[in-house]
This record gives sequence, structure tokens and C-alpha cells, in this order.
Amino acid sequence: MAVAGILNHTLETLARPKSRPEVKPAKLDHLSNKTALILFAVAEAVLGENFLKKCPKFIETVDDYLNYQRPAQRQQLITALLVAETRLFNLIVGGNLRGFSHLSLADRREVLEKLRSSDREQSRNIYAAFVTVAAGTYYSSDLTWPDIGYPGVSVDHPEILNQKPAPWRPQDPRPIEP
Amino acid sequence: MPGKIVEGRNLKDEWTLTPDFCVVGSGAAGGVCALKLAEAGFTVVVLEEGPNIPKGQGHGDKSHVRPMLNERESMMYKLLYQEGGARLTKNGSVKILQGRCLGGGTAVNWSACLPPRKETLLEWQKRGLPFTRENLDPYLREVVNYLPIVRNDKYNTSARKFIQGCDHLGMPHDNLPNNTHNCRECGSCGVGCPYDRKMSGFVKWLPDAVARGADVFTDTKVDKLVTSGDRVREVHAHFLDGKNRPTKGTLVVKPNKGVVLAAGSIGTPAVLLRSKMDLGGRVGKYTHIHPVTITIGKYPQPTHPAYGVPDNMWSPKFEAGPTGYLIETGSFFPVLSASATLQHGEELHRIMRDYYPTGAISYAHHTTGFDPKEEYGTVELDDNGDPELDYTIPEANVKSMQESLEVMCRIHLAAGASSVYVMRNPPLEVKAGSGFEEIKKIDFTESQRATIFTVHVMGGCQMNNDPKRRCVNNDFTFGSVKNLWVTDGSIFPTALGANPQVTIYALALWGAQEICRKHNAPFKLNHQQGGQWPWPGY
Repeated sequence: MAVAGILNHTLETLARPKSRPEVKPAKLDHLSNKTALILFAVAEAVLGENFLKKCPKFIETVDDYLNYQRPAQRQQLITALLVAETRLFNLIVGGNLRGFSHLSLADRREVLEKLRSSDREQSRNIYAAFVTVAAGTYYSSDLTWPDIGYPGVSVDHPEILNQKPAPWRPQDPRPIEP
Repeated sequence: MPGKIVEGRNLKDEWTLTPDFCVVGSGAAGGVCALKLAEAGFTVVVLEEGPNIPKGQGHGDKSHVRPMLNERESMMYKLLYQEGGARLTKNGSVKILQGRCLGGGTAVNWSACLPPRKETLLEWQKRGLPFTRENLDPYLREVVNYLPIVRNDKYNTSARKFIQGCDHLGMPHDNLPNNTHNCRECGSCGVGCPYDRKMSGFVKWLPDAVARGADVFTDTKVDKLVTSGDRVREVHAHFLDGKNRPTKGTLVVKPNKGVVLAAGSIGTPAVLLRSKMDLGGRVGKYTHIHPVTITIGKYPQPTHPAYGVPDNMWSPKFEAGPTGYLIETGSFFPVLSASATLQHGEELHRIMRDYYPTGAISYAHHTTGFDPKEEYGTVELDDNGDPELDYTIPEANVKSMQESLEVMCRIHLAAGASSVYVMRNPPLEVKAGSGFEEIKKIDFTESQRATIFTVHVMGGCQMNNDPKRRCVNNDFTFGSVKNLWVTDGSIFPTALGANPQVTIYALALWGAQEICRKHNAPFKLNHQQGGQWPWPGY
């Protein structure tokens, strides 16, 4: 833990992520302004440009989620973000000499693809962490639900459960119990 | 005089309590022990790491009686699950979904109720455990009648497609009994039933225990047990705020009679390891999971996959054997789906658009843990004292995991799916006549070659007649400690090969009986009559 802390501190000091107007400096529990920018670049690669339109609280949601991780796992995600921003990492993985956040969208996706198909377990784990966090957070936003035909939760829309016949058990003649 | 539920997040002082018994954990085993010990006349304090789930009028219709439970995945996983739903094995290969709230796993499971496999009980008998199908009968009957367990045959679309596919293939399928009552079919069992229609621990065992005087402290994380001689003298804990951060409050429980560990198969070993009670390295060893393989079929019509009873249909065809598997059906939601796809870019969104609205899910729980030469998983502590499970999918399970994916794909296709999504890395879409060969190449022993979940963790503090493995004796006492009992799924010497909720309830009842016997206190099974046995032929 102490080693991870020192590593993260060093990496963060050296990191120079690309500024993005979409990411405003904010007081967050676990992400710094720098790691928030790297997370944004990762999320953009996973989700596509303008993803904040449908998930405006993406950074805040991830940051809050980190409260519920055990500290070691939280550190690991932050380490993965900071490592991804190092030039050495991008040189080895994608042949780029710039930090991840400075790469074009296409180049970032190429890096993701290489991580995904890597023979190294650690690289695949980084890929899994990035896509899990980004995709899970994005599709937690109500604004994305119409895209996938999800009407929402029943406590907000009790009428969903009162349709007759219930669309998930069509032709079932039994009444819906109260 | 009734007890109370005390929310630790509001406590900032140093607390000391002196009940007869301290129960660590409020899940399946903790709820049972709290109730039976309170019934026996003992004073009981239950310590639960996760939050309370208070009753009240929610913002939905009048049946929304747990305001905190709003079905929103983004909020519920972090509140109700260990590590916010993001618990992983040490090498990242398996996602572990475990409850961490009042009621523990019973609050977030999909309500499936199966008895222990006879085959598993026979294996346990070989290892010296006292449980047989016959002598477990009264305990199972108690659970069946108390909850109650019923055959709810309102099938959601996933179950209906499964029935259709099985019928086409001539494959047996059956109703999977569950513990819901007048289910509203919101499908949200996995994020806590907002309507109190699932008979979770916080609906049944714990309120009944509180009514008989038990006190339950939520947001209360046990740090360690303090022993002297052959007895546990104190349980040290601290309180957590709403974001899992320690408050300034601490709690010391000085039990007059003893401690019951019921914190689950990762939590119980963790408490023991933090207490330096590792029995020469045996605690935490031989921890088992049911690795879960998943398929989503894509159908021509909308399926509304989130709604309906999630887990009331299964096939027993492949359950036999040390690496058998149970295929079950479920419901699925946007966050869980998206975070399991192992996909990025436009393909991620295409898969969500293609498979979510018209998808039906089936998945398989795989049995492990029967090879006496294998060590299986180990619960360890990280540098902060938090537990992590070191686990690699056993080689012996790889073939059956490939097979389960293949079988589930065939069922979907027979039911009319145009394609089936297999959560492999890279993602695989199986169609009639294509993709099956690819399934046979998936190496589940390597991390992130496929998305593997587990919702059942067992063992880690096992009952066994082999002194090299035994942590818990047949009377549920731990090692040579006279006043410490372990009653949860951590005592399983192998994986169960069935959804473990019912077995944990039954064994916890047995364990509570042992505790009462030791203290010459009354123990009674109160629900032996009436009710309908939900497992014909068992």
C-alpha cells in the first residue's frame, strides 16, 4: 500500500494529461484533476465522443463509486490510469511517444485493442478495468436507457408492472397480484 | 422486550456491550442464529458491516416499503454489495457479487431455493461431516415453512425462451422454487426487493430476532476477536459512515457466553486472519466458488429482460458430478450488462442496442471443489487488512464451462434466437452453425479471456475430519476455542453444486441447536407442519 501510494504520487507528479474543457476542476474524493482528465480520455475511447451528453455526471459518479472500493483496489485503478498516461507505456503498447490523453481517439482505441488482446494478464486486466468502469457508469445514466429500450425502474414507473398481460409473460392468463 | 436496529453511522463514541452472544454478520447464517439464540432467551448483539435497510413509505406506489431500495443499479451496488459490486479475485479473473447490508446475501440474491445435492452431502460424509439427507430434513422443512419457499411459476421472457428451447431439444427443465410472496415482478431481487415480497433476512429472520430482544448494529465492521486462553473475550469493531469511511466511533463487545461467526466465506476467514487465529495456515484455504458462464440470446421481439421473476427456471440435466453445472435463467439490467461485455467503441453500443431490448439470459453455476488434491482458492489479507480471494478457475472445470456455453447457445437458438452473445474476450456471437468451435478454445484459467461471475462463495473455514484441513468441528466450534462457533457457508468443505441459501439456513439452524445444547438452553423448530414441499423427488 505504501509502495503503491509512493508510485501513484510519483506518476501523478510527472503526468501532464491533456486539458479538456469538458472536465472542470472540481473537489473530488479520490480523483485529482489530473486523474480525472485521464479517466475522461479513457472513457472517451471506450464510449465515444460527446459521451458526457448522456452521462453528464460521469466523473463524479466514478469518483463516488471509488468510496466503496477497498483501498487497495481503488489505488490499483488510479495506478492504471496514471500508468496509461506515461510515455513509456504508450511506447511499449502502441508505439506512441505521447501520453494516452494526448492521443487521437483512433490511437487510443488501438491501445485499448492491444491491451485487450495482450498475452499479459496485467494488460488484459487494465483493459477490463477501463471498459467495466466506463461502460457500467455510462449505462447507469437514465439518458442512455432509451437507446437500449429500457423503460426504467419500477418504483419510478409503477405502470410498468401493471400492464396486462405483462409483456415478459405474454399470453399468461393469470392476474397480476397486487 | 424487543431489541433495536442501531445505525453505526450515527455513532461517534466508544461503545461497550455485554450480551450473552455476539453474532458477526446478518446474512443467511447470522439471521438464523440471532433468531434462534434470542428465542432461547439469550441476549444477542448482531454486528453487520453494511447499512440498514429501514422500512417506510418509498416514492413509488404504496407497495414501495423500503425507501432506500430504489432499484437503480448505480446506487444499489455500492450500497448493498461488497466493494460496491466490484469485488474481484486477486488476479482479476472472477467478479464476485456478495451482499454487504442488513440481510447480507439474502437481501440481494435472486431468491432461488434449492436443497443441497445428495451427491454433495455424500462427499461431505466421506470427509466426516454429520449431515445426511435424512437428518437435515427437519431443518430444511423449517426453512421451507418459515420463509416460505414456493414454486412461483410466473415466468419472465428469459425463462419462457429457455422452456421453449429445452422443449425443442428434448432437454429436461423444471421450476426453481424461490422465497418470494406475491411477487410484483419488478425483477430487482439482485438490488434488493423494494416491495418486501422477497423473504430476505431483513424481512424475516432479523425482524423476528429483534422482536425477541436481539440488537442489530449496522455500519459496524469487526476488526478482530481478542482471545485469552481458550475463549474469545472481546470483539473489537468500528463504525462506518455512509461512504464506508470509519467514524470516530468504536465498539467493544464482551460476550458472556460466546461469539458466532457468520460473515460469509470471505468475511469469516478475514476476521479470523485479522485476529491471528489462522490455525497454522488452515483458515482461508480451500475456498470455493461456483464460476458462472453467461449467454444472452437475441430474439425477434422485445423481451423486457429486466422484469419478471428472475430465477425460477432451471435444467437439472447437467448438475451431476464433481464438475456438473446448473443452468438457470435470470433478469438483466443495463449496468450489469454493459460492464460485462468486455467491449469498447461502437461495438459496445451496438451490442447493447442489439442484445438488451430483445435479449434473454441463461447462465450456468459450475460445481468445483471435489478433488481432494486441489487447494482451490485462498482468502488472504491485503496490506490494509482487507480480504481478497486468490483463485484460479480449476483446469478440471474448463471443459464443462465450455460445454455449458455450448449447451446454452443451442437452447437459445432452438428457442428462436438469431444469435447468442457469449461474454468472451473478444466477444463472440454464436449463430446456427457458426461460433461453436470458438467456444471450445476459451481458456477460463486465464484472466479476462471471458467474463466470469460468481455469486456463491463457500468454504475457507471448513468442517472436515482431516486435521490438515479442519477449522471447524462437527459441533460448529472453531479449533480449540470453546466459545466460538462458525455457522455460515465457510464451513462447506466443497462447493455445494446448488444455490446455497437454503443449505446455509439449514446448517445454521443445526449450529444454533448445538450452541443451545452446550448451554442447556431450549431449541425448537417451530414450523414443522403445513406448507408444501417444493422439491418433489428430493
